[in-house]
Amino acid sequence: MADTNLKYANYSRRDFIKHIAIGGGVIAVFGNYGFRYYFNDDKTILKSIAVDFTKCTGCRTCETACSANNHKVEINGEFIKGLGDPHLSNIRVHHFNPDVDVPVTCALCPDTPCIEACPIPADKETGRKALYRHSELGTVVCDLEKCIGCTLCAQACEKERAGIIVPNPETKKPERMCTLCGGDPNCVKWCPYGALSLLEIKVNREFFAEKPEKIAELLMNKFYHVEAEVENGN
Amino acid sequence: METKGYFGKLLFINLSTGAIENRTIPEADIQNFIGGRGLGMKILWDLIEKPGLNPLSPENPLILMPGPYSGLPVPSSSRTCVVTKSPHTSAIQSKYEHASTISYSNMGGFIGPEIRFAGYDGIVITGKSDKPVYIKIVNDKVEIKDASDFWGMPTDKFDKKFQKELDDYHFKTCYIGPAGENLVSYACIINTAARAAGRGGTGCVMGSKNLKAIAVKGTKMPNVARHKEFVELIDKTRTKFKESKSTGWWRYGGTANVLTSSSYQGTQAVKNYREGTFEDIEAIGVKTAKDKIWSRDFACYVCPLACKKSGVIKEGTYKSHLVHDGPEYETGTMLGANLMINDINGLMELIYAGDNLGMDIISLGNTIGFLMEAYDKKLIDETFLDGINLTWGNVEASMQLIKKIAYKDGIGKLASKGVKALSDKIGQGSEEFAIHVKGHELAAWNVQNDPGMGLGYATANRGACHMNGENMKTQDNNTIVDSVGVCSFAYGEYNESGISELLSLITGIDMNEEKIRLAGERIFNLEKIFNYREGFRRIDDKLPERFFEDALTVGDHKGAVLKKEKFKKMMDEYYANRGWDNETLKPSDKKLEELDLVFTKDKL
Repeated sequence: MADTNLKYANYSRRDFIKHIAIGGGVIAVFGNYGFRYYFNDDKTILKSIAVDFTKCTGCRTCETACSANNHKVEINGEFIKGLGDPHLSNIRVHHFNPDVDVPVTCALCPDTPCIEACPIPADKETGRKALYRHSELGTVVCDLEKCIGCTLCAQACEKERAGIIVPNPETKKPERMCTLCGGDPNCVKWCPYGALSLLEIKVNREFFAEKPEKIAELLMNKFYHVEAEVENGN
Repeated sequence: METKGYFGKLLFINLSTGAIENRTIPEADIQNFIGGRGLGMKILWDLIEKPGLNPLSPENPLILMPGPYSGLPVPSSSRTCVVTKSPHTSAIQSKYEHASTISYSNMGGFIGPEIRFAGYDGIVITGKSDKPVYIKIVNDKVEIKDASDFWGMPTDKFDKKFQKELDDYHFKTCYIGPAGENLVSYACIINTAARAAGRGGTGCVMGSKNLKAIAVKGTKMPNVARHKEFVELIDKTRTKFKESKSTGWWRYGGTANVLTSSSYQGTQAVKNYREGTFEDIEAIGVKTAKDKIWSRDFACYVCPLACKKSGVIKEGTYKSHLVHDGPEYETGTMLGANLMINDINGLMELIYAGDNLGMDIISLGNTIGFLMEAYDKKLIDETFLDGINLTWGNVEASMQLIKKIAYKDGIGKLASKGVKALSDKIGQGSEEFAIHVKGHELAAWNVQNDPGMGLGYATANRGACHMNGENMKTQDNNTIVDSVGVCSFAYGEYNESGISELLSLITGIDMNEEKIRLAGERIFNLEKIFNYREGFRRIDDKLPERFFEDALTVGDHKGAVLKKEKFKKMMDEYYANRGWDNETLKPSDKKLEELDLVFTKDKL
């Protein structure tokens, strides 16, 4: 599993060497998520959350750190980090039996099926639909003014990728897209195990979009040498 | 409610009537008993008004208590305390047939925080269902569902099947195995296929209610009083953990780190507590486990320690079997050193079996060790053991016995009651090496070379307990650790001041160190009063004769043994310090007033 995925993981050479050096068998995968070929002439450098599954212990500190930073509360006119309600987090850890843990977050897909699915016409000046890509960070952002809550983006993500986008239970507008916390992701910062990192990626890359169940299966095989039946209820 | 950080709400479920209701927790109880073990004890006291209740009767409540830290991102705050009246302990002279102590048992994982996410500070289950059921909780929606299809299922398989049934990975669950269903008196409650509320028969009480499992999912969040300071303190605490040396120590080997060091110090349970040093300890120690078994570390909710290790057996009879956890210090000692087992692969298979069948591995290993000694001394023969050749170090024989115990088959029926019941039956002086206090088996720390631990075992309110503490101060302190919801392994990073600071920020009231110390003492005393009412007296705080007779013969601490007079003096001083009567152990009226426990007087 490790070798196969590393072959596809098209991150910078420095990181590549770093991870190999940690020890043969380190698996680092961008976001989640299986292979999909995508070419783009745009040479933009993006950064994305990478998971080292050999280090992740499933503690869910990332969920609380993400949630705290992305759901601030206003106290006396000051915006302060929230309490870290894990249900609001953009990164979610899936637990499995046999014991593997798979953190899942938005992969900043180069081809964004979610944006493709958005039915709101692109703005003539900015080229933005209700769902659009952030010009610097490359994150997927929802313009709450324009969004009509049709949930087509969430359906596209569920069908074609790992099902990251979830409509808000009330407004039906999309949530859970990774914000990279504006460039300094709190999940990376506070992971007690160094299992998460922000790695440079090229837009022009082979791309992972695997469901957590599939990753879990590969990890079970790696950790326990078992072809385990995957029992995650989700 | 003035006190922040709580929902102020308990979920009451009566499995006899199917009634489900929310009850408000009195504000005074929250401040006086805090949560977890403490608040659980207060609830138990209120619900059991008379002594002598049969612990397996529908009236005995099974109480699941997270603490005020649970659900908040306080590092290592994953614990849930299960409180009930023990089905496993008994008094030496009590007028009540069913006299038993309180029982509290503490588990990590994710279910404690999830109970709080569902909007409750605790769950109280009473009654008895007429068929196997499980409880499904999604915030305010609570259902009692049929579990007939799952009855009889071992915990590992059940964990997988249950996730499928629930069809949503956000559910956090806990459950019993066949041992709990069959009312083995030291059956435990398991979650994530290996973490356990192990001690004191919590799984037996759950089984007596025909309750297979509890599944919880919630989307709420506890609040805190002083938000800004709280989140700043969380960041500071996380950084502290990151920089702490002990964090790396826990990650490296968990409690298995001390398997070898304890052995060298002569403090390990070896050969049914005959010795404190196991000469083959390296063979089942942390280095061997790392080389031969472990694949990965994993952690409980927001915990930076990751002391739990999973792996796979790679050689021998059990090759390619997956193991969820262990050896830990307790499981590795009780099913390893204590049974003279030096085969790590066999040991792992035994640990897996204990978890899978749902038994407290401490009591289980102690019970097998007792039978091995009785067999070795020819007090019992193979016929008594249904043909099992139960020799020291015998993995296969131990495995046969474990299965018999879980299913109460033949000798397993008696062995499922623990060493006290076995020695009562076997007689012939076997009580001298029946290693229990109040019917509760001792854990993996041996006593000949550690009188403080001896006092801890003798005076623990749930029967012999290695987590009790060796004097009044540590005991009261440990009570608080079990009450706030933080893990005792992480306590070193908090200490009294850290616990107090966090609790004050969460609740918004001044929970200074003295107030918290007093709460710890109050909780410990309420437990004691409960036991006193059941008929437990000083004679019940009795260590087995072995520790005063059988000096160690192996290792650097050869010759170590407890001195009777000296130990008695230690105990006298302890009781005086506690403010308890030296003979009856009844807390004095002055003590009751000091601790706001006067309300117990008219129930005594």
